[in-house]
Amino acid sequence: MRNFKFKRSLTLVAVSSLLSLTVVSIPTAARAADPACTTANFVTSCVGVTSDTAPYSMMVPANFNGTVYLYSHGYRPNVPVPAGIPGYGGYTVTNTPQPGPNATVIGALLAKGYGVVGSGFARQGWNADSAIKTNVELVGLFKKQFSKTTKVVAWGESLGGFITQALAEKHPDLFKAAAPLCMASDVTPLMTMAGDALWGIKTFFDPSIKGGNYSAGAAGYAEAMGDLVKVFTAIGALQAAMVANASTPAWPATSKVPDAIKAIPSRSALVMVALMSGVPLQSAHFDGASGAAAMGSQITSFQIAINPAFAALENLANAAALAVLATHDLELQAGGPVFDNTATDYAARIADEQFIWSSALSGVSGTQGLLSVLAASPRAKADPAALAKMKALASHTGKVEIPTILFTGVADPVTVAGNQQSVADKYAAYYADKWAAAKKAGERKRPVNKQLVLWNFTPDKYTKFNGITPDTSVPAATGTNHCNFTTTQYLAIADLLAYAADNGVNMSGGALLTKLRKAGNMTYDRGYSAPKMKYYGN
Amino acid sequence: MIGKTRRKRTWFVAAVLASGSLFATALPAHAETGVTSSEIKLGITLPLTGAASPGYNKIGNAMNAYFKYVNDNGGVYGRKITLIQKNDEYSPQLSIAKTNELILKDKVFALVGPLGTANFTAVHKSVGIARRGVPSLFLNTGFSGFANKKAYPTSFTILPSYAMEAKIAAQFLKENFAGKKLGLVYQNDEFGIDALGAFKAAGVKFDVSVPYTSGTQGSATAQTWVSQLAAGGAQVVVFFGVTSATAALLGVAAAAKYAPQWVLGSVGSDPLILRALGVPVAVLNGALTLSGNPSPNDTSDEYVKQFQEINTKYNPGVAFDDYVLQGMNVGLMTVQALRAAGSNLTRKGLIRAMETKGSTFASVAYSPLGYSKTSNVGHTGYYMAVMDATGDRKPYGGSAVVYTTDSGSGPVVKSTFKRPAMPAKGLPTNS
Repeated sequence: MRNFKFKRSLTLVAVSSLLSLTVVSIPTAARAADPACTTANFVTSCVGVTSDTAPYSMMVPANFNGTVYLYSHGYRPNVPVPAGIPGYGGYTVTNTPQPGPNATVIGALLAKGYGVVGSGFARQGWNADSAIKTNVELVGLFKKQFSKTTKVVAWGESLGGFITQALAEKHPDLFKAAAPLCMASDVTPLMTMAGDALWGIKTFFDPSIKGGNYSAGAAGYAEAMGDLVKVFTAIGALQAAMVANASTPAWPATSKVPDAIKAIPSRSALVMVALMSGVPLQSAHFDGASGAAAMGSQITSFQIAINPAFAALENLANAAALAVLATHDLELQAGGPVFDNTATDYAARIADEQFIWSSALSGVSGTQGLLSVLAASPRAKADPAALAKMKALASHTGKVEIPTILFTGVADPVTVAGNQQSVADKYAAYYADKWAAAKKAGERKRPVNKQLVLWNFTPDKYTKFNGITPDTSVPAATGTNHCNFTTTQYLAIADLLAYAADNGVNMSGGALLTKLRKAGNMTYDRGYSAPKMKYYGN
Repeated sequence: MIGKTRRKRTWFVAAVLASGSLFATALPAHAETGVTSSEIKLGITLPLTGAASPGYNKIGNAMNAYFKYVNDNGGVYGRKITLIQKNDEYSPQLSIAKTNELILKDKVFALVGPLGTANFTAVHKSVGIARRGVPSLFLNTGFSGFANKKAYPTSFTILPSYAMEAKIAAQFLKENFAGKKLGLVYQNDEFGIDALGAFKAAGVKFDVSVPYTSGTQGSATAQTWVSQLAAGGAQVVVFFGVTSATAALLGVAAAAKYAPQWVLGSVGSDPLILRALGVPVAVLNGALTLSGNPSPNDTSDEYVKQFQEINTKYNPGVAFDDYVLQGMNVGLMTVQALRAAGSNLTRKGLIRAMETKGSTFASVAYSPLGYSKTSNVGHTGYYMAVMDATGDRKPYGGSAVVYTTDSGSGPVVKSTFKRPAMPAKGLPTNS
């Protein structure tokens, strides 16, 4: 295979920030039981704290129509991240309240007469259990403050999507409709994915990465931050190697795999890590399919062997930071290591996909070589008590009685599409049972389907090239990256929520399809099923 | 006032019902995706461009030519067939996208002849072919894994599996080249795995074994294959790969004056394409190859003769080779399957027809078809052929001796199967 040598401008490790903080800040005077309110430009804004000290923000227009959107924000690390770490560097822990996805969406909702409310929650990190309580209290506070309130709808992204789904399941009395977006499903599959990805990076590229089992206190924090540096150093080395020679990129100097294994291109190990952990092989700039015409007869090898490896690199760079931070956080909460792969059969994990990505894995012999490294490497062991504690955290049943709208990108590298699929599958099973019971009772009419599942598909081909060099300066493709939605899509979801709240059912038929078409890149396809996550804990 | 309103409503409802019944009469007898009273829409994904495209890029047009011929002769129960081809460039990810387009946007009734093992594996998993109940007929791949009817309930293969091919080749090697040093070059994926497993089970050991990763084939990589084969002293070299890889291997070997006895797998041995890719015809002379079909030049064969005539008229200017023959034959079998499913065409009906009547379909291949309620396996055998000084393929030993087997541990047996006659004028009348 010809060596692909690219311009040095190719940059992949530009991890998209998961932190989306809004403009709302809390005046010191507002830290009290009752909210402090001000009115300007026909909008009343109130800030305050709940009984568990979670700051919140409420915004209501003068022409308030009685419907309010409760927003739950995504994961924020619960420790500061030193400067220099891609994506997170310089982050300090904040519980700034966030009443909507962004200022534009908030403004548009207020202009339509809706209220918005959101909290910053009492703690950061994986906070679903406490955030659910906070939000329930917040609904009461909002109604008390704005007595015109008639309907509350919930929405949220990522971890906020988890919280939103849980609110829909547990508190149908409080909410008329809910929209979990780019949702996290249960913590066990998520942390397994994170653990597998970190363990894979450690095993192939730098065994000095701890990847978990962090010490208590400051020492553990230092270990986690050290891991971040090591993970991104390895990813940076891989990036440089692929830019220099994409066909047979060198292994990072920190790698300790046997020399015989190093005869396999390091890019194949990247693909292996993505496959074994469930990270998609389509990323912001790499569609896993395209080549440049200028590559001539080598175009096919780029398409099926190299493009997917770049996608793995870009996605792992996005997912790895969160994996380290979430692992550190969950271990602190659970009281010990929570990732356990002592019984994991990685060959079985990739069995369904290894032939699809055979070229990217350097054929059967390459696949077997990489699997032999995984089989021979020391495994991570969880603390049973910590694992039990983590599993006791809030989880989804999928059973909802209020209209819910699920929406995610099929190539989200962090909360992969399998998260949404698992909740869709749970509801489908619940619905089937419900219908069977109804039929047994003599009912002839099907129960109303309360769940609307929407997908943001990637375009067929979207990798751009300058000559033969992939162009990573263009915006991330739709359907890729974490919670990569447009304002139009957010507003379409908001409209669907309003409809559902008014009618008690989700929009359907031609009206739904028209709404989705106008928003763009929103697909309703009952026949689609996203790839499952690699492990659901059973 | 109330009475008046009620009368108006009654009139309105009656009018709606009346217009509804009229409307219903005007509709086709049924409403299945991709089927109207005048059309059946089918789809195929295959590489029309890229390194793997030579040869394969002719299959869709050949199918289309046959369908046009059928359409000009009344279609299938009056419906004309439209075939939509999508170029997946041999990329599994693109196969997923293109198949999604075929199913969701173009709303095809069924897939016919989708090509590539990795490609169809990806499509089946990600598009949810079985879950959606989309029939996928005559997969252009020999991966034995697709014979799992439980996993692939709506899919049907057409080619004998790579495992069957290797088992038959193994028997031939043992009978004809005992004591010779054997070499093997194979595609290092499920294609090669199927073959390797079968050779091993048959007790054939290769002195030199050279895997290559799909997509890497080219003259530079072929240099390394030839060096290894020559260094190992391989006197008989078996090749299991695609045509573009065969061309690279034979071209480099010829330049290096390395001339073992070549035994080419069926997938990559079309002489016309090999010559078009620069392989000297002299190199092909004497090369052995496994084949399921007659030579595309054998005009004494009624299928070949009919298909050549159709190709001349409906696919003008396109050389008639193994790929065109295969495309036409997939077209012929598709029409029989559609006819067997009846005029009230449904996806379920098509699958049922394949299961209950598929084994009786006329096909150019010499071996029997294995379709049944418990099997989605198509053809099951091969014969050994040899290429002559013109690059044409002739049965080894003068007449085609067909062997059949399965993908498992079943024996390799000489076939007594009698191929069904070509339907008159190449137009099936089965039901």
